[in-house]
Amino acid sequence: MVKIGLEIHVQLNTRTKLFCSCKNEASKKPNVNTCPICLGMPGSKPLINEEAIKKAIKIGLMLNLNFSKKMFFSRKSYFYPDLSKNYQITQYELPVGTQGYFLINVKGRIKKIRIRRIHIEEDPAQIIHVGGSITNAEYVLLDYNRSGVPLCEIVTEPDFESSEEVIIFMKKLLSYLQHIKVFDIRKCKWRCDVNVSIPKGNRSEIKNVGSFKGIKSAINYEIIRQESLINKGFEVKRETRHFNASTNTTELLRTKEEEIDYGYIFEPDLTSFELSSYIKDSEDNMPELPEEIIKRLIKEYKLSKNNAEILVQKDPLFVEFFEKCSKMYENKKKLSNWIVGDLFKCLNFQEKSLFESKIKPNDFVDFLNLMDSKKITERLGKELIKEYVEKGIPPRQLMNRKNLNLLSKKEILNVIEKVIKENPKSVKDYQEGKKIVIDFLIGEVMKKTRATADPKITRELLEKKLKNK
Amino acid sequence: MRIKEYLRKVEKGEILPSKEIPRIVEKLDKLNEKYSCFITLNKNPRITSKKGRLRGIPVVIKDCICTKGLRTTSGSKILENYFPVFNATIVKRIEEEGGIIVGKTSMDEFGFGTFCTNCAFNLPKNPHDITRSAGGSSGGAAVALAMSDLPLLSIAESTGGSISCPASFCGVYGLTPTYGLVSRYGLIDYSNSLDKIGVMGKSAWDCALGLSVIAGKDSNDQTSIGEEKDYTRFVNKKYIEKNISGKIIGVPKEYFGKGVDKQVKKIVMNAIKKYESLGAKIKEISLPYTKYALSAYYVIALAESSTNLSKFCGLRYGLATEIKGNADEYFSSVRTKGFGKEAKRRILLGTYIRMKGYRNKYYLKALKVRKLIIEDFKKAFEKCNVLMAPTMPFIAPKFNEIKSLTPAQQYASDILTVAPNLAGLPMINVPVGKINGMPVGLHIIGNHFEEGEILSFAGAIKW
Ligand SMILES: [Zn+2]
Repeated sequence: MVKIGLEIHVQLNTRTKLFCSCKNEASKKPNVNTCPICLGMPGSKPLINEEAIKKAIKIGLMLNLNFSKKMFFSRKSYFYPDLSKNYQITQYELPVGTQGYFLINVKGRIKKIRIRRIHIEEDPAQIIHVGGSITNAEYVLLDYNRSGVPLCEIVTEPDFESSEEVIIFMKKLLSYLQHIKVFDIRKCKWRCDVNVSIPKGNRSEIKNVGSFKGIKSAINYEIIRQESLINKGFEVKRETRHFNASTNTTELLRTKEEEIDYGYIFEPDLTSFELSSYIKDSEDNMPELPEEIIKRLIKEYKLSKNNAEILVQKDPLFVEFFEKCSKMYENKKKLSNWIVGDLFKCLNFQEKSLFESKIKPNDFVDFLNLMDSKKITERLGKELIKEYVEKGIPPRQLMNRKNLNLLSKKEILNVIEKVIKENPKSVKDYQEGKKIVIDFLIGEVMKKTRATADPKITRELLEKKLKNK
Repeated sequence: MRIKEYLRKVEKGEILPSKEIPRIVEKLDKLNEKYSCFITLNKNPRITSKKGRLRGIPVVIKDCICTKGLRTTSGSKILENYFPVFNATIVKRIEEEGGIIVGKTSMDEFGFGTFCTNCAFNLPKNPHDITRSAGGSSGGAAVALAMSDLPLLSIAESTGGSISCPASFCGVYGLTPTYGLVSRYGLIDYSNSLDKIGVMGKSAWDCALGLSVIAGKDSNDQTSIGEEKDYTRFVNKKYIEKNISGKIIGVPKEYFGKGVDKQVKKIVMNAIKKYESLGAKIKEISLPYTKYALSAYYVIALAESSTNLSKFCGLRYGLATEIKGNADEYFSSVRTKGFGKEAKRRILLGTYIRMKGYRNKYYLKALKVRKLIIEDFKKAFEKCNVLMAPTMPFIAPKFNEIKSLTPAQQYASDILTVAPNLAGLPMINVPVGKINGMPVGLHIIGNHFEEGEILSFAGAIKW
């Protein structure tokens, strides 16, 4: 049986960095969000950002952890150009919490993944390789905007048996982290160290995998590599490996003998922290967890289970969007169908998040109202929402701009006359009994009117006209 | 001239700091040629007209404390041309009270030394005999005071005795406050859980004045605690008269043991007896864990300092060398060139005791011993108000005597100062006599945050 464990690093979406008051914000300009503390200048001292502690505790609550009464920080020493002090302030002996779990659904079966511990630490600066990759760059540049950004490290027990389980876990974890508002997929980075072992072998650790696709390839490659070693009678040694995304393989970084001794000591510039008051604060301010939201959506809005689940899974913003819209719109079923249906489809197609699109609850509800009051057809609606997502122009404006108000009977009749004139063969077929041809003719009317003709009225008028001929 | 008198004259307008300070700097510059107590003399100090408690007073600062725009080397070649981009909290406080920073005093590299002989730059010389050590690591801070009668205030720093030792060797007052009472923000760390910024002066009153300005909680240092107070009231004559009588002075027998010079013992015991005449009682006590203090101190201090020094690698500031090879090779070349012998020794020892297999045996054990030593003192302070002992086991040694000492013998000279430093207790050196013209110091140790008490004792007797 394959055993897989994860060490997941997620950046927390705090307002400021972990140990200084610099903004926790990516910037195009390098080294703008920096100060003596995150640059490791002599004489500077770290100051804890309490927001990071509270957010880590929320993660702990979500993962059912046992919290430590007291926690403190440690120095993990190693020399690397991205570390401003050549040690990282992290947690070693007493982290935020230990021994929790997270449930995942593997093909209908609920599986418990044990969480060993979570802790808080600082992110190093970013190394930018110029003129090549890590192995052949001409030189490197350092950007300290990232230096000191708070990370939460989540360590699981080796409870996964396949890459599929890992992906299910990661997707759920990241979605939940967004729901409890500690992580923002648009701004915060995440990365994973993956431990893989198979029977009769030692575990190998694959460092810094940063995508679902990468996780899958790395694990699958690693299983095959280890199996083939054992089949050939070789030993699987304990080692640290690196994932090469361009070849989808893992490569040896160092063996166990070459492991770095981090020489942990307590961080003497920071006092120890009693967690009880922080835990209370986080409990009081804990957002709804996704399963609670699903239940509430079904109960309060009578949504189908399917629609409720899709709304929640996608992005916490959708739930917020749905609830804002529903304050202004009665037919919740229709509302959720349009969000889960066409809106999702269009966003996916455009590869946009709800956040990036300029869709606002007001305009969206107005758009549904246009359809309800028959000012536009559903068919036209489906066209308009595409443009709405793409260009960010609300449907009513699009309509006015393009003069897409619904046509009167007389106007439709004019178009029908034209269509009949242009398609004598179809007309003949219809009159000879091939009634199905009428759908083609309706389609032609729609094309000419850019879907501003009501399809029902069009059919009636067309049938009448063809009978009269 | 004494600071008290200088302040009075400034107040009355008899002294104009804008005229007086350049004269003082000029004198210091001349004296420095002989005693080398400054690494950097601030020849164009910012002379403010702020009317604070240090109005117009020239202040010298140990070179491990960051002064914005004024070179700060921490006594190391690796920071030879380092100009801090921010002021330490205590520098800000001094300037806000009208103090004028006139120089940065010499020290053992990063504070690593007992004799101020591990210096990257010129060695400070003892003004009582220039063939002798000034004491370390705040050697320059003590020499700057002892070499003249200029009205200076001197800010120093102690990790294991770096204020008491040079104060004792040079015959000045040296106050090390309770750990945490004075903000360390802007102090270039030696050992963060032990480092304390303190004051040296020519009287207990000078120390009290300096402490009043620099003490108190600072939001930039998470380990800082304590309130702001006017400490000068504890050295007020009337307060002292009322205060000393009936107090119990603990004399730990372990501090008068082997290795402490006989004449030193005698002078210190005589000094302690003088307090009896003021109504205090003397009580012999025991601090049984004293014998473990030295090892525990060096283990903790070196473990911490070896990580503190990691940041000096030639990337963003400090010494840089030609960029060759990979990052590790570059860092090594900078550090090989920039650090002195003692710094290298301490990095190696400090790294060793943090490693797997040794961490439990040394580092974690030393932390436990530290707790026992704190307990030792706690018990003592249940029975006594202050403790008294010699500050240093001997008078300032000659430079050529120091050369023949092994590093272990040098470390052993800290035997009397490391325990109270480990326990984070406040202590003050009081010059109480001389042997062959060389000063002998009495060490008064107080309970946590009892700076007022030890200042009051220090101010009680004029020597
Ligand atoms: Zn910063």
